[in-house]
This record gives sequence, C-alpha cells and structure tokens, in this order.
Amino acid sequence: MLLLKNILQLTKFSPTILIKNYSQYAPHYIDPIFKKQEQDNLIQSGEVSKIAFLPIKAARNNDTSSVFHDHRVSRMVNYIMKGGRKDLARKLMSETFERIKRIQIERYHKSKTDEERSKLILNPVQILHMAIENCRPVLMVTPIRRGGVKYQVPVPISEKSSYYRACKWLVEASREHDRKTHLPEKMAFELLDASNNTGRVVKRKQDLHRLCEANRAYAHYRWN
Amino acid sequence: MLLRRSSLIKSPFLRLFSATAAEPKMNLDDFRTIETNPTKHSKEHIGKYYQIDDTIRKKLFAHGGIPKKYEKQIKTFNESCLMVRPQAIEIIDFIKKTDFSKPTVRYVLYGERGAGKSMTLAHLAHYGYVNDFCLIHVPYAPDWYKRPKECGLSTIHEGMIDIPLECASWLIHFKLQNIDLLTKIDAKTSKTYDWSKREQTPAGSTLIELVDHGINRAKYAADVIAALIDEIKIASTAGKFKTMVLIDGFNSFFYEKTRVSVDKKARRWPVTPDKVTITQPFINITNYDWCNGVCILTVDIIGMLGWDRESNLPRYLLGKEGFEHLDPFVPIKMENYDDLQFNSCISYYVNRRWIQNTEKGFDQELKFMSNSNPYKLMELCNAL
Repeated sequence: MLLLKNILQLTKFSPTILIKNYSQYAPHYIDPIFKKQEQDNLIQSGEVSKIAFLPIKAARNNDTSSVFHDHRVSRMVNYIMKGGRKDLARKLMSETFERIKRIQIERYHKSKTDEERSKLILNPVQILHMAIENCRPVLMVTPIRRGGVKYQVPVPISEKSSYYRACKWLVEASREHDRKTHLPEKMAFELLDASNNTGRVVKRKQDLHRLCEANRAYAHYRWN
Repeated sequence: MLLRRSSLIKSPFLRLFSATAAEPKMNLDDFRTIETNPTKHSKEHIGKYYQIDDTIRKKLFAHGGIPKKYEKQIKTFNESCLMVRPQAIEIIDFIKKTDFSKPTVRYVLYGERGAGKSMTLAHLAHYGYVNDFCLIHVPYAPDWYKRPKECGLSTIHEGMIDIPLECASWLIHFKLQNIDLLTKIDAKTSKTYDWSKREQTPAGSTLIELVDHGINRAKYAADVIAALIDEIKIASTAGKFKTMVLIDGFNSFFYEKTRVSVDKKARRWPVTPDKVTITQPFINITNYDWCNGVCILTVDIIGMLGWDRESNLPRYLLGKEGFEHLDPFVPIKMENYDDLQFNSCISYYVNRRWIQNTEKGFDQELKFMSNSNPYKLMELCNAL
C-alpha cells in the first residue's frame, strides 16, 4: 500500500509519465543529434529553430561526434559483442577492417592498370555497408498453425528487421571458423564475399527467398 | 568569382584527394624525398619519407630490425619508406663530426613507447651500411631473455646458461649484414681459438671463418660471439674499419629478471642476465676502451618483464650498474611527432590509401587521440 502511494506521488511530481516499458523519457523528448555534419545541416536549413526548445534525450555513450562514427558499424559492434564486453567487440571490428584494408590495398598497389584500380573498393566501412545491403532479405517465413499443422508462411519484413537479420547472419557466418583462424580473419572474408554478392550469407538469403517462393501457396494463412 | 576563390584555396588535403598511386614511383610529393642515401640527409629532409632499396632492406633487416607491425605496413604499401626523424639527423651529424681516434661515443635513445626509437635505429643502421661501418646490430635484445627458444647449461663455462639457437641466429644476422665489408678488408684473427680437442680456429684466419664456425657449431656460438667481438675491437682500434654498434633494448642486459631457465621448475628462481653467456660480449663492446667506433643504444620500457614499468628514463631503465657502465653517454630523447612530421605522416597514409575516411577534421581528431605518438597513430589508422 505504502509502495503504491509512493509511486503515485512520484508520478504526480516527476515530469516523466510512466508508460509502457518504463522509458526514461516522455514521448515528446526527441532523439539527440550528435553528429556535427547533421547539426550543421539543421542550422543551414533553418530547421534548428523548430527543435531549439524541445527537450532532448541524452546521447548514448557510443554516440560520438567523431568523424569516424558510423551508425551501421556501431550496430555491428553490438551484434558481435558477447557478455557486455564491448571493448573486445570494438577491437574485433577494427581488426576486421584492418584485414579488409590490407587485402584490398595490397591488391590496389599490385594492380597495374587504372581500370583495375578503380574497380576496387578500399574503404572498409563502405564494404560493410555493401555487404549488409546484399545480405538483406525481403521476405521471411513464420510458422503458423492451421488445422493442427504448422505451415511455414512467407511474410514481408520491415526494413529495420531486415538489417538486423543481415548483420546477424554475417556475424553467425563469421563465428563458424576452425580453431586456428580468428573471428576478424573470417569476418573480413565474409564481408568481402558478401560485398561481391557471393558467399555463404548471400546464399543463405537466397535460400530463404527460395523457401518463401516455394511456400507461396500458404501466403493466405497470414490473414485467415 | 566563386570559382576563382575556390581555386585559390590551398588546403593540403584538397591536393591529397587527387593524389593517386598510379603516379610514378619516385614522385615529388611534399612528404617524400628522393634522397635515398642517408649520408646526405640533413635538416631539410626532416619529416620526409625516404625509400630504402629492397635489396638493402632484405640484407639489413632480414632477421629483424624493423618492428613487425611496420614490416606489415611495408608489405601492404608495396614500398619500404622510413621517415627521417630529427633525432636520426642529429646523431648522423654527430657521427660525421666525431674524431674516431678518441674512445667510442655512446648514444642512448630513450623515449616513450612507440616514439620511434627502433625505426631511428633502423635508419642509422642504413647509414652505417652505406658508409662501410661494420655493423654489430642487435635487432631486439629483450627477445633473448624474454622468449629464448632453447636454454641449456653451458658446457664450457661452469654455472652459466647458454642460449645456443639465439647465438647462432645472431651470427647469421651479423654475417648477412657484413659479408660485403668482411670480404673487402683483410681482418684476421689475432690468436688461435681452441674450441675443443679437435676443433680450433687458427690465428690468421678470416673473421668469416670464425663466424661460420659459430653458425655450424651452435654449441660454441656464444664463445664465437665473444671472440668475434674481441677481434672486431682489436681490428677497429687498429684502424682497419669503423664499427657501429646498434642495440635495441640495451637495458635488458642489466634487468634483474629473465625468463631464461634450465628447467621449468626453477622458474621461480630466475636467472639474471649476467649468468647468460650471450650478455658479456655485448656489454664488452659498449665499453669505452676501444676506438674507431660508435655505439647507438636504445633503452626500452617493454624490455622489462611487465610488472614494474615506471619510467622511460635511462637511469631507471638501466639501473645503477648499467648507468655507471655507460656513463658518460649522450642521451637523446625520441619525441612524438611535431606538426610537420605529423602532417607528413598523415599525407603518406592518405597517399598509400591507408586512411580512407578523409572527412573534414579527421586529421585533428587523429592528432588529439594519438597525441602525435607515431605508434598510436598507426594503430588508430588501422581501422579507418
């Protein structure tokens, strides 16, 4: 009883409203804009005056204004991370990039014509982006029970979920290595493969699409 | 008007974007110098990269001398370039002005981790090679005491411990570096060395024969090193050739702990370096009782085993004994990059495509994060 009273008092005086999942912030709080480039864009377009007096959430501690910050990379680091050891995950990610660069730059300096050179992509972040884009599924299957039988029903997935799946697959493929190779080494190869639209992860995506295609007859189970 | 203005802006990085590796090998960028002879390096070359010829590099540093991480860079960049650091120029200047009839001058390079001590030593080794110095080059002395491949009780010196494989491989390194010089001059052994009842090196045999004996018979390699260094001292005092001693991580000769041990159970009672047979010759050569030579040593905090790293200064690293052995010496501090060197390093990395993300302000961020420390900068750039 006392507890309930306390909570009621709290909700009465605190500026936040207790909503689902206990968000720290009330819904009218906006996401922080922590990148300098984006801030400059807002200032130039004049939109900054619209949000000048809105309450803003605090930036997360991995949101930095560093020029090297990349959203996709920081998500990928989180997917690699195990047991909260982010330092290690970040190290693995940067080592992966180093390996990609070493492979690509060595090729670059050894290739003789400009044409060959211009084809090579050297930027590891760009390679990661391309790899993820190539691995994103459009559809997936979900088990739905009809008449005592489970059907694998193809359903479209959201953009966010497709990114998640692509990243997760890439990490899963990179974790399957023999004892002597390390994650960064395998991951570098997986990313390079996927950026060329080849490799195991792209095949996994195509397999899933094929399954969806085969199960198109069950598609109507989504509704009835 | 706008067009004219934009063409007038001279940002160093605007130019970098257009730099391609398709350019001829010896291009005249700001950060490069075509002067590949270290003898001719002077103050105007500070902060610029010069290229070592691949054949010379393979000869000088086949068994170490360039840090492993930089070896990797050389492979990736497809060229071996070193930056000319002011400290190297300073020492080269000193060597040029040295009166070689006087006792040897000892230079001690010190500085924080990754400031470029080993790379400067590599530059100076190149200088020594070009100028026909006899090189006594130890790529990294702590390796002998930290991870010896094989340890055994010495059969010749009682109570001493021998690391025969390391001794023999150093002799191979020595031979590879000095084969040109040793075939040119007529340095002969001054006395007969008896190794065993059947084996001996008679007086008047060449130094190459002496070295070959050590390589073939690893058991005697440590004694061969002692004999060789004695002979080199005698020969250079006699004026037959000049000698340059380069030892990386010299402080490990005076550090009280090593991982050398005969059996693994005895690891709790570590062996001190003076109980290892390879130590004495190199302490001997850094003494001042000979002339026509120069000693360039580095003291390195990573040479210690890792639990008591407190200071980078020579007095702390060498200890009382080591400091008194070297005293008087010329201390030379390796500093981090200054603005000029930093910019040239960044330009080099961008030119070699090592830095891919050249958004505005990337260099300032790198400078802040690495504190202009060369090694940290290299580590940071790995993932960019």
